[in-house]
Amino acid sequence: MANDERIELDHGGGGYKSWQLLQEVRGILKERGKWQNCEDDAAVYDLGNQKLIFTSDGFIVDPIFFPGGDIGKIAMCGTINDLSVMGAKPLGIALSIVIEEGFPKSDLMKIVKSINQISKESGVPVVTGDTKVTPKGKLDKIEITTSGVGIAEEIIPNNGIKPDDVIITSGDLGEHSVTLLASRFNYKTGLKTDSKPLNKEIEKVGNFLNACKDPTRGGLAANIVEMAEKSKVKIVLDEETLPYKKEVVAVSELLGIDIFSLASEGRFIAAVSPKYKGQALAILRKFNPEAKIIGQAKKGSGVYLKTKLGSYRPIEMPKGKLIPRIC
Amino acid sequence: MEKEVLDKIHKTAAKIDHDVNLMEVCGTHTQAIARAGLRSLMPKNVHLTTGPGCPVCVTAQEDIDAIVSLALGGIPVATYGDMMRVPGAFGSLDQAREKGAKVFDIYSVEEALKIQKGNSNLVFFGLGFETTAPMTAYAIQKGLTVYSTHKLFLPAMKALLEIGELKIDGYICPGHVSAIIGTRPYEEIKAPQVITGFNPDDILLAVYMLLEQIANDDPKVENEYQRVVHPEGNPKALAEIFEVFEPGDGNWRGFGAIPGSGLDIKKKYEAQNAKIKYKSILDKVDFTKSRRKTACKCGEIIRGLKLPSQCPVFQKGCTPDRPIGPCMVSVEGACNVEYRYGK
Amino acid sequence: MCLAFPGKVTKIAGDQAVADFDGIKKEVNISLVKGVKTGDFVMVHAGFAIQKMSKQDAKEVYKLYKEAEGK
Repeated sequence: MANDERIELDHGGGGYKSWQLLQEVRGILKERGKWQNCEDDAAVYDLGNQKLIFTSDGFIVDPIFFPGGDIGKIAMCGTINDLSVMGAKPLGIALSIVIEEGFPKSDLMKIVKSINQISKESGVPVVTGDTKVTPKGKLDKIEITTSGVGIAEEIIPNNGIKPDDVIITSGDLGEHSVTLLASRFNYKTGLKTDSKPLNKEIEKVGNFLNACKDPTRGGLAANIVEMAEKSKVKIVLDEETLPYKKEVVAVSELLGIDIFSLASEGRFIAAVSPKYKGQALAILRKFNPEAKIIGQAKKGSGVYLKTKLGSYRPIEMPKGKLIPRIC
Repeated sequence: MEKEVLDKIHKTAAKIDHDVNLMEVCGTHTQAIARAGLRSLMPKNVHLTTGPGCPVCVTAQEDIDAIVSLALGGIPVATYGDMMRVPGAFGSLDQAREKGAKVFDIYSVEEALKIQKGNSNLVFFGLGFETTAPMTAYAIQKGLTVYSTHKLFLPAMKALLEIGELKIDGYICPGHVSAIIGTRPYEEIKAPQVITGFNPDDILLAVYMLLEQIANDDPKVENEYQRVVHPEGNPKALAEIFEVFEPGDGNWRGFGAIPGSGLDIKKKYEAQNAKIKYKSILDKVDFTKSRRKTACKCGEIIRGLKLPSQCPVFQKGCTPDRPIGPCMVSVEGACNVEYRYGK
Repeated sequence: MCLAFPGKVTKIAGDQAVADFDGIKKEVNISLVKGVKTGDFVMVHAGFAIQKMSKQDAKEVYKLYKEAEGK
């Protein structure tokens, strides 16, 4: 590798380059102790009759406040959800905040209140944390890291999809990314972030899920591709039942951004055996009437979209950062 | 309707006793065809090929090296998204930014006008065909300084036919370029042509109309995209272009200079012509480096002579996250599209 | 990147207008198109309207085409 290689924005984009960087980092950090699943959203420690689940996530976001939420809300939901999609009951959160000198205190308190709101809603307390302040210009406003622990009797893997399983989304996707993009590009939309804690709904439906993941960074594309690869199945999604609102489609078209790479912060995708699909959907629809089946797993490999015309095209892990394309 | 048109495409194609190459010359068509998986639905003798319709892809290496040199020379530069990542002899604009150069990616020239308020010596790297040229012309009249690589589209179509390297049986003509230039200019080209929109049904209908022209030996210009494209085009936008620009020798990747295909900034606006304003920096650039041969086959791919898969570096060393040529950078580039959708 | 669908003009102030794209409201410059009025559909490219647009779609073109060809 060339010595002058620099970290690019793509390395944090959640796509292929992020994955490559993670591989390199994990190639150095080889010690695992008794921990398992160290490449997943959360790591697992077997306690005998129960499993301890542990995860951490850093958050930077521009703008900090956006329709339906703020950086505090997504920092809380992100970590609660990383534990929940593994089938864990989240126990507590550690919260670290790095603040740029000169940041308005009222904004900080607003963020802390929204963290508290999610804590109440989900029943997951913030139990410890840290605060640092950097000199002006050394950081863009604020950075939040949340770490969380949970316990589970059985984990829901992200590689457990079996041929014939149906693929379910817990609601329409991409609204979080689109809300942020719209704020950044001065578009007015009626959309709000989809950010919310998922622990309660996954607790209710968890027994039916063969595999589960939340399509945050990299969106449906990155996450379904990863699940299909790890599960060694082929997945066919149906263009007729794609889980996107017309406003989300419009923004993705307006900015020329692949709709499948748009992130959600309060949704999950899951694989369910066909015989339980009715029961699972019935539960999920109590939480969100948009929950639906978007495709099915088959023997083979790759993820494909069956178009309205009956042709098939592959869905790939997003490459490159989400930038608007113009010409 | 789509199924019915598909059926007719197959029936008409069966009446044609040879292979038919239909070339689309608009990057958004390239992408739309791949996204809808249209190639897999075509009859065996109908081939949809990609031509020089991706503005990022046809931008000459010398121009990229010039703008990167300006950025590295301390001049703030703004341009449209994908252009940022096209590598050149001195790196890409993105890499110039990593090294500390002021480089802005923008969505509209109006953003460049805003950025200029805080960066008075800002240069906008103008690229694209008749679709984006009027906006650049508008911004120049509002005081923006521009390095123009804008191009006129029809000279490239004519050049392709004149070079005659590839048998092109018909053109799927661009939608937005045609919204500006109208349908009439295409009449100079003696080949089956259909102007069409970007939805799968638009493109299928265009293919059917082209096959009918070919089967009946009746080449003409037809307009499927009447909802946007009028025979006279958009006279106001055309007037805007020619207020500021005059045709010159455009420099195209893959073609070299095509007479009358470039849009040069007129003398009247030369104070905002970056090529003149920053001549002292540009004169010092070693453009022999731009002409160095690489394994990248973008030039031949743009001319429709090679498929991305026939390029020795395609998927081996040249990928969307580490592109060697512009056709892999742009989401509308033939290689990028093939990489993402080509399985 | 050509945008495949139009916006409906909801407000005009000089060169600037607000257009609604399937529920997304966005500022567009309308100085390149003659006689844009509120309620018009416009095709937009890189932040500028480039042409007014009628509602006719491929289906109607196809119908007209079939009629003309007698097929």
